[in-house]
Amino acid sequence: MKTTIERISDSAAVLALAGELDASNYQELIDTGQNLYGEGVRTLVLDLSDLGYMSSSGVVAVHSLALVYRGEEPHDPEAGWQAFHAVQADADSGTRHDSLRIAAPNDDIDAMLDRTGINRFLPVFADRDSALAG
Amino acid sequence: MTATDLHVEASLSELARIRARIRSAAGTLGVEPAAIGGLVQVVDEWVTNVIVHGYRGAAGEVHIHVDREGEDIVVRIRDSAPVFDPATAPAIDPDLPLEQRPLGHVGIALIRELCTVFDHRALPDGGNEVTLRRPTAAAGHKGAAT
Repeated sequence: MKTTIERISDSAAVLALAGELDASNYQELIDTGQNLYGEGVRTLVLDLSDLGYMSSSGVVAVHSLALVYRGEEPHDPEAGWQAFHAVQADADSGTRHDSLRIAAPNDDIDAMLDRTGINRFLPVFADRDSALAG
Repeated sequence: MTATDLHVEASLSELARIRARIRSAAGTLGVEPAAIGGLVQVVDEWVTNVIVHGYRGAAGEVHIHVDREGEDIVVRIRDSAPVFDPATAPAIDPDLPLEQRPLGHVGIALIRELCTVFDHRALPDGGNEVTLRRPTAAAGHKGAAT
């Protein structure tokens, strides 16, 4: 997986993912997103337009970043369904994480986001520009 | 149409190559394009489970056999890791309060959702074999269009 960072402002960035996101590289996504948060980014768009595949490990990474951008600690990577408990709890509570936004997932990834409940608490946009506009 | 056999090291670095081979095999075996993504997903999730939770970093191999049986695509995956029956993994009970839901493997829950058959048997000489079955057609099963 290749990641490209575009700083929109001191507090906003686009992190574009290209290739495939799986158990071999999902921690890289968490680390990159955490580093951006540490640099002051508070609105992060994950541009998935060139991401061809996402496994459940990628979903855990996305939710971990949602927690980071809410000012919390990311999940333990071994937490398994605990991560999804948190996803579900957020969805049930109506909590929205607008500081982390997903843009342009392909059909398979969109189905994955739906199946795991991610799209119930993270905004998903058709493209990068609409995600930046919020 | 010919079956595909793939022997790989139990390493997360092999996942991308496995997915590529499964996509190729699926096309050769007549799986509809809209159903290939789900097939790739279930194989990837199970092999990841074997590597991370089965071998736990130890050296090992994974053997993947992909074939068509009638209108289904059938994948059999063997390993030499300690016996683990995914049926023993906690299921998702939608009626159970969230805080009471048992922990389990995320990938296994997805496989259950995406496959019509998800069977396990302990091999006589140790290790595991799982059978994953999905329709070759995109319609007709929940998640099959992915």
